[in-house]
Amino acid sequence: MICTKCQELLSDYIDGALELGEQVSIERHLADCEPCRAMRDDLLQIVHFSHQLPLQAPASSLWPRIQSDLTELRPRLWDRPLRWWARIRSFNFNLSVPQMIAGAATLVIVISIGVIVSRRDGPAVNSDTATRLSQVTPLSNADLQQLEKQISKLSDSVEQRKESWDPELRIAFERNLYYVDQSLVECRHQLNDNPADDVSQELMLNAYREKVRLLEGFDKF
Amino acid sequence: MVYRSNTRLTTSICAPVILSLFLFATGFACSADLPTRFERSYSPHRTVHLTISNVNGKIHVFSWDKKTITVRANAASSVLIEDEVVGDDIAISTKRNLRLGRADFEVWVPPDTSVIVKNYMGDIEVRGVNGHVIVTSIDSDVRLINIKSPSVDVRVTSGDVYFEGELNEGGSCSLQTMKGDLDVTLPAAASFNLNARALSENINLGTFLSNLTGSSRGPKGVSGTYLRGGPRLSLTAYAGRIQLHKK
Repeated sequence: MICTKCQELLSDYIDGALELGEQVSIERHLADCEPCRAMRDDLLQIVHFSHQLPLQAPASSLWPRIQSDLTELRPRLWDRPLRWWARIRSFNFNLSVPQMIAGAATLVIVISIGVIVSRRDGPAVNSDTATRLSQVTPLSNADLQQLEKQISKLSDSVEQRKESWDPELRIAFERNLYYVDQSLVECRHQLNDNPADDVSQELMLNAYREKVRLLEGFDKF
Repeated sequence: MVYRSNTRLTTSICAPVILSLFLFATGFACSADLPTRFERSYSPHRTVHLTISNVNGKIHVFSWDKKTITVRANAASSVLIEDEVVGDDIAISTKRNLRLGRADFEVWVPPDTSVIVKNYMGDIEVRGVNGHVIVTSIDSDVRLINIKSPSVDVRVTSGDVYFEGELNEGGSCSLQTMKGDLDVTLPAAASFNLNARALSENINLGTFLSNLTGSSRGPKGVSGTYLRGGPRLSLTAYAGRIQLHKK
């Protein structure tokens, strides 16, 4: 499966709306494709956050009001860009050489300031993210680091062996690894929302252990 | 003339060789698909620990009123099943190999046997056992029926877990699935200490909820003491619901 096809089907995949064959093809592709996995995680995040949004029923009078507003606005919306375009076209762009140089210089200065400001903002954003991560990781004690190291080592070993496995076994492994990873993503989201949540911490640690168990089990093949 | 006689000679030698090779290959192919049967009986003098380790196939364990343990398996010919008896421990396992042959087990045990079941793929059922029960699997639905065990420990990565039985005083029952539902049926008079965790779906305690004391309830977890407390009931479902029923 190619990336474009995979990304086209990802939404249905997350909703569980695909047939088994397509689901398996996607899981195979995801196992080998980092960008598609990242996209899947992004979609999972969106699904997660949308689940947290409160359900609010609009008043019954809202839709007729919106409809009447839209009917009124429609000609204006179409008119506005046309008017702007007409104005731009009516401008006289005959500039002198000093005017053009002054304009170019102004443009260069504005762009330079923009670049400097964005570079200054860069590390601030990163440090903010780092602070949030450090808040999220009261789990990152020696035990957790050891588990992550163990997982990385086992994953490498399993990846090497996987090619020689029976296809049915490989599919079962990838499907179950996906379930564990999905649980870990969910735990991380919940810890992002509430870093002091004991239950999420406990569940996350347990999910890591489960991942170790899964990889150890398949490392024997 | 010479050419003709050589052709006849070649034909007369080659034909039986090719035919026998064909028959051998056909026989081999057929035998590869034929299931093999494994059957053993053990007559232990004391209570034993029985371990069944399988890769692909169902495992059903039943209790009976005999003192013997009987294990039967239907397996693909590519699957090698081995047994080992060391003291009070009996271990039966399928050897892992690159071909994923199937082996279905049916096991009969005295009720007080401690049962350990390990599997990768295939449903698991344990009925009427009073000894310790440990089940670990990757991709299996697990059904524990009429269990009166001092300790039950079930861990599956994906699959539903169903438990129906009693909890022993001072014992523990721990059920966990990463992707699937937990369904637990207990006697109405059961008392226990509950710790239930569901990461993304509901926990439904049914009528047990009304008598749960000292409880803490959050969006993902419920813990508390039901009636007098006692046995520890630990339920964890990551992507699935938890449901408790009264018998």
